[in-house]
Amino acid sequence: MSKTVSKSPEIAEFSRRHNVSPSRVKVVKNASGEELLMIKPSLGREILRHKDVYLLLLIPIVFYFIFKYVPIFNAQIAFKNFRARDGVLGSQWVGFQNFIDFFNSFYFWELLRNTVFYSIGKIVISLPLSIILAIAIYECTHRVLRKVVQTLAYLPHFLSWVIMYGVLFALLSPSSGIINDIIKLFGGTPVDFLSSVKAFPWVVLLSDAWKEMGWSAIIFIAALMGIDVSLFEAAMVEGANSWQRVRYITLPSIKPVIVTVLLLKLGTILDAGFNQMYMLYSPQVYSVADIIDTWVYRQGLLQFEFSLATAVGLFKGAIGMILVLVSNKLVQRVSEGSSLF
Amino acid sequence: MEAAATTKKKKKVHTDLKPKMHNNAVRPTRADRAFQVTVDIFMVLILIVIAVPIWSTVTLSFRPNTYIGSYLEGMFLPVWDWSPDAYKALLGNNGFLMAFSNSLKILVGGVISALILTIPLAYVMSVKTLPGRKILTTLVLIPYIFDVGMIPAYLLVQNIGLMNHLAAVFLPGAISTYNVIIMRQFFDGIPGELKESARIDGCSEVQILIRIIMPLSKAIIMTIGLYYGVSFWNNFFNAMLYIQDSNLNPLPILLRNILMAAGMNEYVEVSAFGNAPIEAIKAASVFMSAIPMVIAYPFIQKYFTKGTLAGSVKG
Repeated sequence: MSKTVSKSPEIAEFSRRHNVSPSRVKVVKNASGEELLMIKPSLGREILRHKDVYLLLLIPIVFYFIFKYVPIFNAQIAFKNFRARDGVLGSQWVGFQNFIDFFNSFYFWELLRNTVFYSIGKIVISLPLSIILAIAIYECTHRVLRKVVQTLAYLPHFLSWVIMYGVLFALLSPSSGIINDIIKLFGGTPVDFLSSVKAFPWVVLLSDAWKEMGWSAIIFIAALMGIDVSLFEAAMVEGANSWQRVRYITLPSIKPVIVTVLLLKLGTILDAGFNQMYMLYSPQVYSVADIIDTWVYRQGLLQFEFSLATAVGLFKGAIGMILVLVSNKLVQRVSEGSSLF
Repeated sequence: MEAAATTKKKKKVHTDLKPKMHNNAVRPTRADRAFQVTVDIFMVLILIVIAVPIWSTVTLSFRPNTYIGSYLEGMFLPVWDWSPDAYKALLGNNGFLMAFSNSLKILVGGVISALILTIPLAYVMSVKTLPGRKILTTLVLIPYIFDVGMIPAYLLVQNIGLMNHLAAVFLPGAISTYNVIIMRQFFDGIPGELKESARIDGCSEVQILIRIIMPLSKAIIMTIGLYYGVSFWNNFFNAMLYIQDSNLNPLPILLRNILMAAGMNEYVEVSAFGNAPIEAIKAASVFMSAIPMVIAYPFIQKYFTKGTLAGSVKG
């Protein structure tokens, strides 16, 4: 029988006896589940006791302030008409004018559409592919084949998009790329994949899948390795074949992880991949390639429309924040402990 | 001791992903065999899909000047016909060597400063008794959740006079909040008794971090260090924004300039590469840029499964 003391009269009595304020009385559970009362040390003494911890924090926090908080402060130019010689503080306030200009412009919907299209498209193509790859790696009985595929599939994640562009160019170039060599071999006419409005979105989606599917599979492989093998054995005895075991045991077992990954990806839906797009796109395909980030870059740093570009970046940041917070809440509901914060 | 034992166990699991089933009484049916064949075919397909682009780049980089066939045929060029001209040209080119050394400086400076900043921050966030820990966590998370975009960051670098310094490439990314969170989660998992007993023995927090926590966290420090290393080595964007002096260009910028040069004459630096074919130069510079990643890769691979597991899936 465990004795419960977490009642207010007992706390009051305890605080009177030890002559401390009731707010400093803490209920703690000991190893056998009994609840005990304890006096919390005073805040001042606690801070003093941790003084070298705060000292440890000094450099990182100063750095964090400069590189993460000063930009937030600088973001005020979204509401100003920024001029370099007036500086961030000296420029004139214009209210929401930059935002209004952006919402009313014809490119607003195009940018939003492209950004969401690429984010969702990448999820739709990469997520099933990485799940299937994870299951194949898990089920593969040839050790050498599995090792080679695992090693090669993770590798492209570590290559930059500049390198990827070099690889893709050798593959897709209209004059001499390998894919066009094959098309020519079968009597077709070569396609300039990177400047064709029709082909370009596929190049973006498929090259992203090629680069990231192995890396995204890791989390699913980890989830698969956590499945209790006796479940498979029991299903086998019941007469379920391999396909049915995947359908009724494997997939349901990793469902929470799939949902978690999906939600976290939805949280970053306005990040369609600046580096990739910047390397692959060209003016011919802007109509289907321009995403919020590439537009902000061109408008801000090439056209020097700092305020307008910042307003667009801020708009993206605000929507992104709401999405991340919502998806994180949902993740907490699906599987506790795998949310980001 | 216990930690060592569990890592050994984990390694064993790793060599065999799916544990062998003990029930041999049930014969595999035709559907089961079809399943295995499908899995194998899929794996081989994936292997081909991933290997072909890499292989085509490698063969392209060794293409001799005299070669006149198509790219497709070039993939099957026998090894004895390969020519190292492109690599010789690159390694003999000053611009390339300079870019390579700039990239190395960014890599080393970046990883060191990133670890010096990330480890203490993550550790302090995991000290459970710390007054103000909640506030600290919130302060760390706000900029992560609310991203204000590239222009305000650009203004910052401009204002603090980092323009045209190699440090401008790595300093803005020297604390990645995501990496801090992963590392903190690892530190959270270290039993509190260890720290408590050290504290009773009179260790300060700094001593605890250096003598007790860091030796126990080699795997996660390696993993995070390598994540940072990859991000600095590959960083193209910051260099493009903040470096104007072409003598300070890191490899990704030079690589992009080489790749974008359509013909020999358009780009001065490319024409300095001697008689190797331009396509081979491009492919060879792609490969040279990837080489440090490829060399570091086996080490990364050894650690990252553990690291990502610690960060993403618990248990």
